[in-house]
Amino acid sequence: MELLIIILVIIGALFVIASGIWVAIALMAGNWHS
Amino acid sequence: MVLSVAVVLAYVVMLTFVAVRARAAREFEDFSLAKRSLPLALVFGSLAATYVGPGFSIGFVGRGFKSGFLFLGIGLAYSAQNILVGLFVAPRLRALTNCHTLGDAIGQKYDKKCQILAGVISVGLCAGFAAVMAKAGGDVLHDVFALPRWSSVFIVVAVTALYTTFGGLRASVITDAFQFSSFAILLPITLLFVLAFHLKGGAATFAGQASAATTNGLSATSPIEIVGLLAAFLLGETLIPPYANRALASRTTNVSRNGFILAGLFSMFWFMVMIALGITARSIIPMDTGEDFVLFNLVKSVMPAGGYALLLVVLVSVVMSSLDSLLNAGAVAFTQDIIKPFVKLPDTSALNVGRAATIVIALVAAAGAVAVPSIIGGLLICYTIWAPAILPTLIIGLWIKRPHPLAGILSMGVGTVVAIMLWIILWLIFKFVYPSDVEIPPLIIIPALGAALLAYALGHWIQRNKSGA
Repeated sequence: MELLIIILVIIGALFVIASGIWVAIALMAGNWHS
Repeated sequence: MVLSVAVVLAYVVMLTFVAVRARAAREFEDFSLAKRSLPLALVFGSLAATYVGPGFSIGFVGRGFKSGFLFLGIGLAYSAQNILVGLFVAPRLRALTNCHTLGDAIGQKYDKKCQILAGVISVGLCAGFAAVMAKAGGDVLHDVFALPRWSSVFIVVAVTALYTTFGGLRASVITDAFQFSSFAILLPITLLFVLAFHLKGGAATFAGQASAATTNGLSATSPIEIVGLLAAFLLGETLIPPYANRALASRTTNVSRNGFILAGLFSMFWFMVMIALGITARSIIPMDTGEDFVLFNLVKSVMPAGGYALLLVVLVSVVMSSLDSLLNAGAVAFTQDIIKPFVKLPDTSALNVGRAATIVIALVAAAGAVAVPSIIGGLLICYTIWAPAILPTLIIGLWIKRPHPLAGILSMGVGTVVAIMLWIILWLIFKFVYPSDVEIPPLIIIPALGAALLAYALGHWIQRNKSGA
């Protein structure tokens, strides 16, 4: 059970990190400063 | 409606199964510290689940909608706080032996009176934070199922208190980690869904909306408000009892350090995702939508029917994972810092006192939920009291060689009284002198913290001179 929860935590964290990176890339690609 | 009820009930049943599998605590050491055996992933997941409450989810989406990335800068103060605690404080806390609570740590460094005062402040603050969470949970059930407000609050508090009472910290941590994975998967999916199917123009539109929202936020927020918010995010939640318990319950000092550092780094990405959700909402829902309703309305507008039910799961997770941690931390502080210094308790009795205290704090939180003005308002009251009341005594005590008990007592007493007095004075001013709906500014943390530090220095100087004479 504990192992399953740990795997879920890692998947959840990776989801958020990947989305955060997408946001950063979108801001750069979308020319935020113009 | 039927689908929403079914999904939420199924989720609660699954959560109860996870809590039952976490096993009931059989000793007080298990109830309070999960036998100091928590691995890194659970410390990290549970810390993140505890700090992501309604403010860091619904609140941040609303702030992203109105002020764009201005609030990312403010949120980063919170991330920095977690990383600093991980680097400098959490390992020192974990290194203390036979320490169950923050009050225990203060008692070991100062004396028993300081421990009792820290215990009283900890229990009071946990009950206050828990009342805010109970109100938030009650609001969700009330809005969705149209139940009376008091019964909505009661249901949320009762389910959470049930597994926390029997399972103690281990059940709280395991269910937190499970709930973390629920919202950490579902909210980014919502963002990706909006980006893929509803945001026309791709990255360029997103960046344009982000720029417009941030400019709007910067012009609508005064520098003094920004300083106040930075102070609240940097200090307000630092090492509140549930976080401290996770530092103490970590398997090793390294796990304790890395758990906080990872939770701090993760919060940066979390804030980005929440704010991005708010920004994408600008081109989808009306601009006059209230901040607290942006996430609800966005999901209602863009997700298929089942999406709204999943949002409910997210919100129930967000609330319960914070509430269970607060109930457990308050109960442990009550037993360890308020009862044990007066009565020598055998282990079974301590466990029973802890369980009874969980139920009493849950009842106080449910009753207090009615008096909470608003979620953010309630959180700000707790933040402004916690930092001045405890932080100087705790952090200086962990770092200097011979901290003096008088300094600890004076600092905690003056910090608490000054924070409460300033809050009441400002409340009276905004109520009667200049009637206004503004929230009491979190800036009062700074003078209250200054007063607590001065009181600490005074107490330290008096006692050093006394013992030197």
